[in-house]
Amino acid sequence: MIPPFRKPRVRVMQPTIYTNMERVVFQPATYRGMQRGINQLVNAIRPTLGPRPRVVAIDHVDYHDKTPQLLDDGGTIARLIIELPDRDADVGAMFLRDVLWRLQQQVGDGTATAAVLFQAVFQRGVHYISAGGNARRLQVFLEKGLQTILEQLNKMTIHLSGRSELAHIAETVCYDPPLADMLGEIFDIVGEFGRVEIRPGRSRELEREYVEGMYWERGVVSRGMLDGDDQLRIDLEESAILISDLEIKHPQQLYPPLALVIRHNIRSLLMVIGDISDSAIGFLLSNKHPEKLRVVAVKTPGWDKEQKAWALEDLAVLTGGRPFVQAAGDSFERIRREDLGFARRAWADRYNFGIIGGKGNARQLRQHIAIIRTAFERTDNPNTRNLLRERIGKLLGGSATLWVGGMTRREINERVERAKRAAAALRGALREGVLPGGGVALWSCRPTLEAMARAAVDPDERAAYHILADAVAAPIRAIIANAGFDASETLAAVKQHGPGYGFDVVRERVVNMTEAGIFDPAIVTKSVAYAAVTSAAQALTIDVMVHHAQPEQAPLPDLSPPKKL
Amino acid sequence: MRDETPITEIVHALAASPDFARDGICFAARSSGLYRSSDASQTWQLAYDSLRPEKPLPTSAVVLSPYFAADRTVFAGVPGAVLRSEDGGHTWHTAALSSPPPFVSVLVVSPNYLEDGCVFAGTIEDGVFRSADRGQHWAAWNFGLLDLNILALAVSPDYARDETLFVGTDSGIFRSTTGGRAWREVDRGPAGLRSTDFAPVLSLAISPCYATDGTLFAGSESMGLYRSRDRGHTWTRLGENLLSGPINSILLDPQYPKHPRLLVLVGDNLLLSDDDGETWEEWHSGLQIDSAMTCVAAPLGLDDSAPLLIGTASGEVLIVNQKLLKEQP
Repeated sequence: MIPPFRKPRVRVMQPTIYTNMERVVFQPATYRGMQRGINQLVNAIRPTLGPRPRVVAIDHVDYHDKTPQLLDDGGTIARLIIELPDRDADVGAMFLRDVLWRLQQQVGDGTATAAVLFQAVFQRGVHYISAGGNARRLQVFLEKGLQTILEQLNKMTIHLSGRSELAHIAETVCYDPPLADMLGEIFDIVGEFGRVEIRPGRSRELEREYVEGMYWERGVVSRGMLDGDDQLRIDLEESAILISDLEIKHPQQLYPPLALVIRHNIRSLLMVIGDISDSAIGFLLSNKHPEKLRVVAVKTPGWDKEQKAWALEDLAVLTGGRPFVQAAGDSFERIRREDLGFARRAWADRYNFGIIGGKGNARQLRQHIAIIRTAFERTDNPNTRNLLRERIGKLLGGSATLWVGGMTRREINERVERAKRAAAALRGALREGVLPGGGVALWSCRPTLEAMARAAVDPDERAAYHILADAVAAPIRAIIANAGFDASETLAAVKQHGPGYGFDVVRERVVNMTEAGIFDPAIVTKSVAYAAVTSAAQALTIDVMVHHAQPEQAPLPDLSPPKKL
Repeated sequence: MRDETPITEIVHALAASPDFARDGICFAARSSGLYRSSDASQTWQLAYDSLRPEKPLPTSAVVLSPYFAADRTVFAGVPGAVLRSEDGGHTWHTAALSSPPPFVSVLVVSPNYLEDGCVFAGTIEDGVFRSADRGQHWAAWNFGLLDLNILALAVSPDYARDETLFVGTDSGIFRSTTGGRAWREVDRGPAGLRSTDFAPVLSLAISPCYATDGTLFAGSESMGLYRSRDRGHTWTRLGENLLSGPINSILLDPQYPKHPRLLVLVGDNLLLSDDDGETWEEWHSGLQIDSAMTCVAAPLGLDDSAPLLIGTASGEVLIVNQKLLKEQP
């Protein structure tokens, strides 16, 4: 809704300037170009919104496979659109693509809603600014209105638990009831930080396995350390744990810890070490009396120094041992019994090693996890958050693996992707609660925004709230339209029922969304609102585009078969 | 009333038949094995005769099915295994737990045992084991249980609907709302509202009306007695000046909260409260026992006329009656 007419400021129409090296684009060509790109991208993603999505076919990207890729996930569709031929439009499309992709990485879902919301805010904003509004002031008031939306969403948030409620949430993301049910069970058990691995299955079925204790992706340094004829795994009971990142170059370096465990009548030892030479491995394998002492060596988990330091710290807290750190100049020469960690059980195979029942101090472990949780809450970096979440999941002592089956390899891969997105949404739902789904939560903010617009005196402020009040209805309108209904008629019917009601497009009737169990993860809806409104407000402040001249492309080599002479 | 029993070792746990008033059956888990009495603790017999153990089989926990009168099911915790009897403790089946052998510290049976067949075993160092087939097979379920030293275990009376259990560990309390398959800390609230600030929790008791009042009690080793009225989210300390020793046992009146009577075993004293833990008095000042009390059971409730079974560190099992004690000079 546009505020009452006021005299527009005179805008000097500036020509597009071309130079040899670059092209500079001014208004109104800037907005027009960006709108073209944004509309193209949003129109490609919009059909995927809602529980009755339509599919987008992407032309083959694999040279060997000519089959088009069929997608119903906005984030992936946006990622696969890598360039538009119209360079002005390309700026708008790539701006939005970046927003959607970052959102997908952060919360796993909500990209189609964000795209529709972004488009609504941007288009109405362009109309207002073209009529004389101030883009910078509009940005300020859009962000102020966003705070109101987030507050309203917080008030509507409810916390849920239990397998069936979680399965409901999963289904809103993956639209696959058996998969959703399985994910509901898994997350009911492992919780928001639990370690869940989702892997392609080998059959048509869904299968899950729960593993007790914690494990790291580092196997034994030699298969000779494994048990049995098949040499698949070794289990140690009442095991001592040597925690270090030291490099063992000579067998002599191992004498002090081995002498220590023999002296204390310890029957099994798991050595975590930075690296080990062949001669040292040979020395460990030369043990003639495994019944008296079993020694298993694995390498320190982690791909960089920071991850290795985290692994050593976690192992030390879990088992009550002291880490020997190369950077601190530690060596095993003066090792004492108190330096060793202990566990009820430890195991290792070629790829992983694990600990069950670490004998560290439980109070310290709980405090250690609380510290990592705080770090997790404070960081915005998605990679760091993932690493910290994995770390907490390990320390909580247990993991689940879900094998996703299907009829074809393609179906399995698509199902795995959907399962991963649903898992991310479930983590968010467990952490931050849920909101009435189907676009109802955002739409419910509309009366408050309209009241704010009525109370506002400043025209830019009034316009911002009107823009937001219109924009928050865009997702629910798109969902209803995608299901084949008339959005205006349906929304009129929903309005008659009052707050909390929405349109269940699967059952094709107006329902109370909470009672019907139709929810969206609150973190997704809030992240969508934040990402769409802040980035659209920022896009509205773009006044000039500068295109760098593209280097002349070298001709592609001719790959056609040679002509016969 | 006092019965000198023939056994001389520590009593770890006591369990009485739900139909104790009629059948007088009770069990005492002791270092030398499980003992059974069919005459309300007057005489005791070793219940493991059919096993013919070569040496005493230390028994650290015992629990009876809530439908004992019909199914005659008893579970006993021994090193590395849970024994199951389906004939009132005459013959036994063994179900091993895991290796290395865990020490079973507490056993609890689902109130809905007839339907779900769930039994839980708390252990020292190995967390909680769960059986869903009436004790035939056991599996460790410790997701989220950060402390595997289980000292107390309590199951919701409304377990069939809420699948809720609490465990007291060496570092506080954990709750499961998934039938013991996953656990969450309950001590993550702001300081002052937490239960025991990570102190060991030795005993737990859940209100018979937990489904409506959400009340449970936790007795700690050194931080006193706590009560939560919101399913363990926030806690209030009770009897701060009086209840300072280790709280080994908490018993609630079967009519709680209508009759808000509590009995706690604090160190060597039995203390009684008639006002939901606000004020306390000695259960009976005339009660004198030579050795330390280790456990207590109230098979017929906490009325003055109801008997109380008391296990001691010297292996005695006493049956005492407050009314009779009061009548004695």
